[in-house]
Amino acid sequence: MNIVVLIKQVPDTWSERKLSDGDKTLDRASSDAVLDEINERAVEEALKIKEAGDAEVTILTAGPDRATDAIRKALSMGADKAVHVNDEAIHGSDAIATAKVLAKAIGTVGDVDLVLAGNEATDGRSGAMAGMLGELLGWPSLTHANELTVENGTAKAKRETDEGTSDLEASLPAVVSVGEKINEPRYPSFKGIMAAKKKPVTTLGIADLGLDASEVGLAGSLVQVDSFAPRPPKSGGQKVEDEGDGGAKIAEYLVGQKLI
Amino acid sequence: MDFVETDEHRDLRAAVASVSAPYGGDYYVDHARRGAECTELWHALGDAGYVGVSVPEAYGGGGGGLVELALVCEETAAAGAPMLLLLVTHAISAAVIAEYGTEEQRKEWLPGLASGRDKVVFAITEPGAGSNTHQLATNARREGDEWVIRGEKYYISGVDEAEALLLVARTGTDARGKAQLSLFLVPTDADGLQKVPLPVDVLLPEKQFTLRFDDVRVPASALVGDENQGFRQVFHGLNPERITGAALCVGIARYALAKATRYANDREVWGRPIGTHQGVSHPLAKAKIETELAALMTQKAAWLHDRGLPAGEASNMAKYAAAEAALAACDAAMQTHGGNGVSQEFGLLPYWGLARLLRIAPVNREMVLNFVAQTTLGLPRSY
Ligand SMILES: Cc1cc2nc3c(=O)[nH]c(=O)nc-3n(C[C@H](O)[C@H](O)[C@H](O)COP(=O)(O)OP(=O)(O)OC[C@H]3O[C@@H](n4cnc5c(N)ncnc54)[C@H](O)[C@@H]3O)c2cc1C
Ligand SMILES: Cc1cc2nc3c(=O)[nH]c(=O)nc-3n(C[C@H](O)[C@H](O)[C@H](O)COP(=O)(O)OP(=O)(O)OC[C@H]3O[C@@H](n4cnc5c(N)ncnc54)[C@H](O)[C@@H]3O)c2cc1C
Repeated sequence: MNIVVLIKQVPDTWSERKLSDGDKTLDRASSDAVLDEINERAVEEALKIKEAGDAEVTILTAGPDRATDAIRKALSMGADKAVHVNDEAIHGSDAIATAKVLAKAIGTVGDVDLVLAGNEATDGRSGAMAGMLGELLGWPSLTHANELTVENGTAKAKRETDEGTSDLEASLPAVVSVGEKINEPRYPSFKGIMAAKKKPVTTLGIADLGLDASEVGLAGSLVQVDSFAPRPPKSGGQKVEDEGDGGAKIAEYLVGQKLI
Repeated sequence: MDFVETDEHRDLRAAVASVSAPYGGDYYVDHARRGAECTELWHALGDAGYVGVSVPEAYGGGGGGLVELALVCEETAAAGAPMLLLLVTHAISAAVIAEYGTEEQRKEWLPGLASGRDKVVFAITEPGAGSNTHQLATNARREGDEWVIRGEKYYISGVDEAEALLLVARTGTDARGKAQLSLFLVPTDADGLQKVPLPVDVLLPEKQFTLRFDDVRVPASALVGDENQGFRQVFHGLNPERITGAALCVGIARYALAKATRYANDREVWGRPIGTHQGVSHPLAKAKIETELAALMTQKAAWLHDRGLPAGEASNMAKYAAAEAALAACDAAMQTHGGNGVSQEFGLLPYWGLARLLRIAPVNREMVLNFVAQTTLGLPRSY
């Protein structure tokens, strides 16, 4: 089986995250960059399939030079090879433009059976990539999978929502986006780390994908960030006056926040 | 010259830090207080191949060197969980078995050391011979197909956690009356081996023991390397012990400084963070400088050792500098925390205790200064 895992390097959620004042895109220089944790789970899921049967796992990312660190991490976990789409023209792409780039890049990997992605990136958070890619590739997309089994040419996924559980099924090739609960990603082993540098990484520009600069980046995007404001400082929060029903009110609040 | 760490080393640091992070300081201090071994962390590190990073690949290890083992020691300590036993089980025992052991000994011990499921600790110190190894009295005499061991060791760490000891014993005396030494692998459950706990007031997860060998018999195959060549062979492990000890200290210093910096930025006593006062910030800055200098020398020593170049001087200097830096960092961190510096909640004293111990062991500060005075500077020997 031929599996492609989409990974994204994102600002570490612990560090201060900013948008740049100029073109209002993500200010990548201002924070530490890490492989998005949800993508570690996508890689883990691919490796489980590989270990259970036979599969080749290709990592795919569209990102700047330093995304090589994220690629290396995925390779050190055990993926076989990687494709890095690295082109200044992609800077500022919206979700659709990004999906176009990724769809073309998936095409360079050969006959792909399964594309695994995270359900939502911690920076862009559009949660759209799996759906958009399914549309562009003409493949079914099973999103928010908290359980996945792939056998006999079908992918079966379980998705949990507030209302209940959905069982999803689609024939391959398919796009699947994974949720937080799907697995616990492994740590890269020492041997994995030493092997990662020697694994093949193909670097492609948009011309290699048959795309034109006008189709991607700020120019090729339907959506652009117009203005932004930092989140206001934390306010005092909500006070609950205890008139003998304090416990019930707190429970009510927590239910409202979907915390219990 | 290149001072930029390789991608592999950066990745190794990040990976060890992420395995250690869920355990961290609270886990370590809780175990240190109870004198309970940090088995979960040791196994987690072992499963990912970090405990056995320096064990040869042919025996299931990572095939790395001391540079990598030192990184593992530093990063676990920097996460708040210094793994003291790595200094003996891997820096010494695994290295000595890999270098001088027979094929049978390697097959028997290295895979377990590589996975982190087995431990071989190290016994050299005796009540009558600490810094002066020439005076070792524990002796092994050959009787037919066996060695018979008699004597006493003390302050031996981790005997309760280990399957075997790498024992340094006297097998002869040279013309000048100095001990001729040999190394033996002795199972910790050997008949005639008495293990008496030796309590210390430093809070440690690892326990220390006095060991009495009352005619302990081991087969001829327990001898590691050549008879009477123990002195030279032990030296193969002592530089690595100093280097990993230094790395552990660098990690402790980083941990203490990180805690102190956070506290000094948050705590306000006169309407601004206490870190504003130079009486608070300068000791931390000074300790930071000392830590970085010690880290550089530690890496240099490990690098020299891995290339088979003379590493004695660098190892000794690194050990000295790192223990001093760790003590300075812990002391400054405690002072920064005021009363909280000695509280159980902030848990700093266990690190000070460990750093203080590392000024004494595995080699004390004065013996390091002797080495530098005599060997580096060429001053007259004092003993
Ligand atoms: C603050 C901010 C706001 C934004 N708002 C919008 C908006 O409103 N509309 C819009 O169209 N765009 C928006 N964007 C741009 C959008 O985030 C990017 O186009 C991004 O590359 C894809 O969207 P996402 O990260 O939200 O992906 P998501 O759909 O949230 O990501 C899901 C998964 O898709 C995969 N993936 C995503 N990006 C890549 C990549 N570059 N390479 C490989 N795999 C990838 C990963 O597996 C990821 O886990 C915004 C970006 C930022 C930083
Ligand atoms: C918690 C703990 C764990 C230990 N674990 C182990 C272990 O696992 N295995 C093991 O074999 N040993 C272990 N040791 C022993 C440790 O290595 C020794 O304590 C250390 O080497 C010092 O030896 P000593 O205690 O005999 O000190 P001594 O040799 O008695 O020296 C006492 C002091 O005298 C000074 N001194 C000695 N000689 C000179 C000199 N020539 N010039 C100037 N000053 C000098 C030094 O300041 C020294 O601190 C451990 C010790 C402790 C406390």
